[in-house]
Amino acid sequence: MTLPFLAAIVAQAGGAHQVATEASQQTVDIIGHVSNGEHPLLELPLILGINFSITKHVFMLWLVAAIIFVVVTAIVRRSIARRQLVPAGAANLLEVGVEFVRDTVVEPNVGAKRVNGWTPLLLTFFVFILGANAIGLIPIFDFLALLDHWFIHSGEHSFLQRLIHGSATATGNFNVTAGLATITFVAIIVAGTRAHGFVQHWKNLAPPGMALPLYLLLIPLEIIGMLVRPFALTMRLAANMTGGHIALLAIMSFVFVFTAMLGQLGGIGIGLVFSVPLGVGISALEIIVVLVQAYVFTLLSAVFIGMAIHVHH
Amino acid sequence: MQDQASHAASLALAYAGAGLGLGLAVVGAGLGIGKLAQGVAEGVARQPSASSQITAATNLPLFLLEGVAILAEVFCLMIVLKTS
Repeated sequence: MTLPFLAAIVAQAGGAHQVATEASQQTVDIIGHVSNGEHPLLELPLILGINFSITKHVFMLWLVAAIIFVVVTAIVRRSIARRQLVPAGAANLLEVGVEFVRDTVVEPNVGAKRVNGWTPLLLTFFVFILGANAIGLIPIFDFLALLDHWFIHSGEHSFLQRLIHGSATATGNFNVTAGLATITFVAIIVAGTRAHGFVQHWKNLAPPGMALPLYLLLIPLEIIGMLVRPFALTMRLAANMTGGHIALLAIMSFVFVFTAMLGQLGGIGIGLVFSVPLGVGISALEIIVVLVQAYVFTLLSAVFIGMAIHVHH
Repeated sequence: MQDQASHAASLALAYAGAGLGLGLAVVGAGLGIGKLAQGVAEGVARQPSASSQITAATNLPLFLLEGVAILAEVFCLMIVLKTS
């Protein structure tokens, strides 16, 4: 989407001998497309050495949270105000989602006794991740970029430019998913502590009644496993979200590569025959990935919480 | 000149390594998911009434498998981005 990226692609296809410099330029811009953008929307000073600037992903997080809050509360409030026992309209959809998460994700893992305690957290995970994933598929900012290109003509350093550049998928950022996985990490410990008491939860990591040398091997392994689980959650979600964008970008950039190699007709031809149909296919696949990854994060969180509650040894 | 050539050679090796790693990760994940799908298909063919339970039991290993493959691909991507 960004012009330097296209220019770099075209230049590289034009002159293969410029490999080193052009390649570095190109990769930087791929990352620029799927990351936060070069300049934050609102620059804030460092506090305790931490950068609290409002970047585009932070903005998208707030946007998704606001949309979900407004939509869900509006539906639920209307349903309550009408004193409905049977849901009507949008409340049907909401109820299907809630029942799906509660009955097929939380209850089989956490158990019937604690299902009502853990459903709110996992439901929040599901809805928030689904919203943040799905909003990345809607080309709002690309539409804004077109408007800007043809009608608005804002300056190079205007607020609109900073809003347009960068990725709209907040869950494609490793920092965001690491934050979500940290919540899971804490939730696992809280679940184990509530079910078995604080000391017993840590004792549950390794089964009792084994030889001492085995414990020397097992305890470090269990501690590594404890840390790897949130790490895998982080990587899985962020990499899936970023991967789809990179694949789409690579396929679409074939148009410009072939324009540089064969002229405009070649570019249009490869776009019509190859890039656009494949791009549509990958976008369709992305819709499934968006749903599945929200489900997977919720399911794995539920499984890990359930493992802390029901210890099998 | 000599230095530039050796740099280009090491760059080429790094790209080749990333590409090979990507392919191997896909092969491994494909084999794993294929075996899983085979098991599910056979199980459902034998016990059609248990299909929902079988699918539910397959979800977790499927996602863990997928996670490993995705991790490998991210690391391959990191090699490419580091070397350029």
